Amino acid sequence: MDRTELESQIFEIIAQLYKKDEEELTLETRFAEDLGGASVLMVGLVSEIENELDVMIQLQDAAACETVGDLVDKVEEEME
Amino acid sequence: MSFLQELAAKAAGHPMRVAFPEAENEKMMHAAYECVQEGCIKAILVGDSEKNRTLAAERGLDPEKFIYADMQDEEMKARLIEKYIALPDTRLKEKALNRRMQDPLHFAMVMEAAGEADVTFAGINYTTEDVLLAGQMIVGLKEGISTVSSIGLCEIPGFAGSEGELLAVGDSAVCANPSPEQLADIAISACETVHELLDWEPRCAFISYSTLGSGQGSLVDKVKEAVEIAKEKRPDLKIDGEFQLDAAIVPAVAAKKVKRESEVAGKANVIIWPDLNVGNAGVKLIQIMGHADAYGPLLQGFKKIVCDCSRSAPVSELKGNIIMSAIRAAAQ
Repeated sequence: MDRTELESQIFEIIAQLYKKDEEELTLETRFAEDLGGASVLMVGLVSEIENELDVMIQLQDAAACETVGDLVDKVEEEME
Repeated sequence: MSFLQELAAKAAGHPMRVAFPEAENEKMMHAAYECVQEGCIKAILVGDSEKNRTLAAERGLDPEKFIYADMQDEEMKARLIEKYIALPDTRLKEKALNRRMQDPLHFAMVMEAAGEADVTFAGINYTTEDVLLAGQMIVGLKEGISTVSSIGLCEIPGFAGSEGELLAVGDSAVCANPSPEQLADIAISACETVHELLDWEPRCAFISYSTLGSGQGSLVDKVKEAVEIAKEKRPDLKIDGEFQLDAAIVPAVAAKKVKRESEVAGKANVIIWPDLNVGNAGVKLIQIMGHADAYGPLLQGFKKIVCDCSRSAPVSELKGNIIMSAIRAAAQ
């Protein structure tokens, strides 16, 4: 999977979970400030990434990601 | 009869199935065994069953007293996965769940979520963070609750509160700097916890340096907002504040400082600290200066009972926490 495809899949997962339009999301979108939502959504996000991309991200690592781009980097790192 | 003996007798009335993912640990196995011997629980040792049986025998314990959940039992694993995936609000699918279940803590929690155990008890080797994260991933949070938190039970010699020498306090261990919403959820969970464990009718006070506007500032505003949120979410609970500690638990002070009707002021049996700085200091003051025994922390907010013990806990402390977890599970 190339980077563009990975970004697209993660955008899709985030949009679904946080009830946002995919078009609103960028790599600079910040989880806390722009997306809000309870930490329980982060649990869902980690689970969906594991289900759909077969990559296990630790919840604490995902929670430490400030932006969507940070999360994409983290997933890419785990895929290598 | 001591407080813990009373709880043990209560647990024995309806012994729950407690899953132990760290059964190989000697202290944990001994604590589980003693609870079984006293009829308080049914202990499920999660891991390598053959090894756990051998360890039990080597430690002079009767291996037949335990129930074994073998992580290599593919049939059991498949059954658990099927049950888990069928549950509403669970997100992990088969492959991901299978991977997580290589870990005994996750395996135990899947058993619990799937209804094959009532409590997951861990923390002697796993860190608190391990237990909290696995709990959030596998067991999940209660409907309407946004944070995991904890309460402790303090038995304070000479204290004449509304429950005698007992007082529940939270959160002194988990949620560091709760938002008003989270603080409200901590209070709601705390009310449910003391009701499950002790059959108390909770009277829950939010603690501040201000009593009903006697002080101002952002720290007070946060607590006031939390009180409003909690009351709105659960109008059925006796929740009130913001109160100074003395106004919360001393009737004479409440009569002087609280100039309106309150079902909580002066007779609170549950105290909610505004943050972990206060909570940690508060419990230590109670322990050091009040010579109190503090039991817990009792984790709360999960859909089912998950317990994290201290890594340095002696067998007696483990037993107390196992018994309290079992009683809470029986009440759910």
